[in-house]
Amino acid sequence: MILRLAAAAMGTRFELVLAPRDARDEVRLRAAGEAALERVEECDRRYSLFRSDSLVSLVNREACAREVRLDEEAYALFEVCLDAWRASDGAFDLTAGVRCQAPAAQTQQEPGTELDLASDRDDADGAWLRFGPPSRCLAPYRLDPERRTIRLLAPDASLDLGGVAKGFALDQAAAILRENGLGLALFHGGTSSVVALGAPPGSKGWSVRLAATGERLELCDAALSVSAPHGRTLERDGRSLGHIVDPACGASAPLGLSAAVSGPSATLCEVWSTALVVLAARGAHAPGLPTGYAARVSRASLSLPSPALAP
Amino acid sequence: MNRPDRREFLQTGAGGFAFALAPEWLAPPPRASEPLAIGLVGAGRQGRAILGELATLEACRVAAVCDSDGSRLESGARRVQGAQSFASHREMLEKLPALQAVVVATPTHLHRAIVEDALAAKKHVFCEAPLASTVEDCKAIARAARGAGTLFQAGYQARSNPIYQLARSFVRSGVLKDLALLRAQNHKKTSWRTPGSTPERDKELNWHLDSALSLGLEGELGTHQLDAVHWFLGRYPVSVRGTGSIRCFQDGRAMPDTVALEFAFQDGVRLLYSATLANSYEGRFELFAGSNAAVKLAWTAGWMFKEADAPTQGWEVYANRQHFHNDEGITLIADATKLAAQGKLKEGVGLPHTPLYYALEDFVRSVAESKPVACSAADGARTTIVGILAHQAIAQKSEVAIDPALLEDE
Repeated sequence: MILRLAAAAMGTRFELVLAPRDARDEVRLRAAGEAALERVEECDRRYSLFRSDSLVSLVNREACAREVRLDEEAYALFEVCLDAWRASDGAFDLTAGVRCQAPAAQTQQEPGTELDLASDRDDADGAWLRFGPPSRCLAPYRLDPERRTIRLLAPDASLDLGGVAKGFALDQAAAILRENGLGLALFHGGTSSVVALGAPPGSKGWSVRLAATGERLELCDAALSVSAPHGRTLERDGRSLGHIVDPACGASAPLGLSAAVSGPSATLCEVWSTALVVLAARGAHAPGLPTGYAARVSRASLSLPSPALAP
Repeated sequence: MNRPDRREFLQTGAGGFAFALAPEWLAPPPRASEPLAIGLVGAGRQGRAILGELATLEACRVAAVCDSDGSRLESGARRVQGAQSFASHREMLEKLPALQAVVVATPTHLHRAIVEDALAAKKHVFCEAPLASTVEDCKAIARAARGAGTLFQAGYQARSNPIYQLARSFVRSGVLKDLALLRAQNHKKTSWRTPGSTPERDKELNWHLDSALSLGLEGELGTHQLDAVHWFLGRYPVSVRGTGSIRCFQDGRAMPDTVALEFAFQDGVRLLYSATLANSYEGRFELFAGSNAAVKLAWTAGWMFKEADAPTQGWEVYANRQHFHNDEGITLIADATKLAAQGKLKEGVGLPHTPLYYALEDFVRSVAESKPVACSAADGARTTIVGILAHQAIAQKSEVAIDPALLEDE
């Protein structure tokens, strides 16, 4: 017996697959599943760029001019993203859409907010980044741990959580399922990000296929996220440009690239799959992923050394 | 009904509100010297949403979170830095005398005791709506609020919503001409169940499916929309009839998952209301239909649909429009004229904050400035009582008269 529930959020469809034992169990599972989907909708209301009343829209409207207070959940999420920005040498950046605009903006950076990439690198072989001329990258925003506030650091900056919000929503929703004792479920957001709880009877995990490579994976108590520039494109001067942009130079990552990351958190899988596409476009080696995460970057003409994806 | 000419309309109607409302609702919330210390009672879904909104208000801080359920309390407290946790509101009131205000977001039938205790402890109170599940409790809350010496705001949010404020001045200026019909609905596909870890906990969490405790869809959800209608029209219905049935969720519940009601006003105008858990189409809205135009409000957006023979208003040249099948809606945007002059009209579509934010902001502002609240206990009690009678009409399968004496202040 399979129970499928779904909700439209973040411009896509979130779908949850549950396996009730009987009709009585279905009532319980439906309630838990709906609670999880409501959490997704709540994340949409808070983190969507396309809702004028979302927290992200509030930050984009006001945080260039003043500190905006955050609740603990939002603060923690923005902190994770800032950490990922540092760890990826700026390849992952919530302000990527506007970061390419600006030497003028960079000159207005406040003191003490810069990160010197050259000195912060901790790569052993010293060869995994080939940035363009800038050796200093600018923090996209500043968090005040005492006041729990955020301040955007470029005058025209704005945040776009994009896939990260999707991953975060899946993590939050999966936590609700676990709190309610559900150990077997598959939950995806727009098919590019998925969380698997448990494994169907007789298998090692939920079977998931990577569209870019055709590879099949079995996911059990893990998340998986795939980023690919061709996922959303726009036409310019007769060319198709992918939606993933290198924050350092503003260039669109080449179509055909894709990165898949698996690990415990869908939020971090989203973060790192985006970052790896940008790093691959730069021709850079991938940095060390957080413990417990594995990745695969693929393109016909490019093969990057990275840990194997399957657990 | 009055028919204001264009000059009069521009002075008092939409032209007026386009300019006049903007400074107030666009202004940042007031900052008192010390932020208002608030305790939240009830950390369920609504309570957590309240915490999220309060976190962005500079003029207040959440000093305490209270819930009798351990996991909810933990989940709520996790969202607020430095807030103390309590399992009972009495303990919170006793141990935190510096608390200035209490926000009540528990199940409806539990409001009265918490409100009375908080008011007796001289706290300002924001109480989620509906206020109570019995007429007696409504009256008791209104009495307690009247004699408290502190402020009480009922959580009917339409009165704080800038789009509704705009639309209300519109409707009351007579732009719709002869009011013919009102419609409202709340349609969302969901079982409306909350998962519980044990049968006892399940029953407790699903109080809104229990006919003995809950006012059903018409009361728990519908009164928020009813209150908008009452506030717009400045009057209450004189009778209500309705039906309810289970159309989708045959899961052992007795509470209807689909209801339809007809409220009659003294002048013959009818409000047709429906709510269902089986289908989400068109979600939640209220519609005021007159012989010149209809106004449709959907909480974060609003539109006016004009009749072809209705006079053109001067401000319409600035209007942003949206198409809905064969109809064209003029988007209701506060400060439209100014935004149009800046070429930013489209940026004004939709609210910059949630409706809940505005209600809480109004409450905090009222306390800081000792101003009247957006929705008083008496107003909240009146709308809740109409909801209680609507619930009775469905349960009894008969028309129920709404005695005006029942809605009078005691």
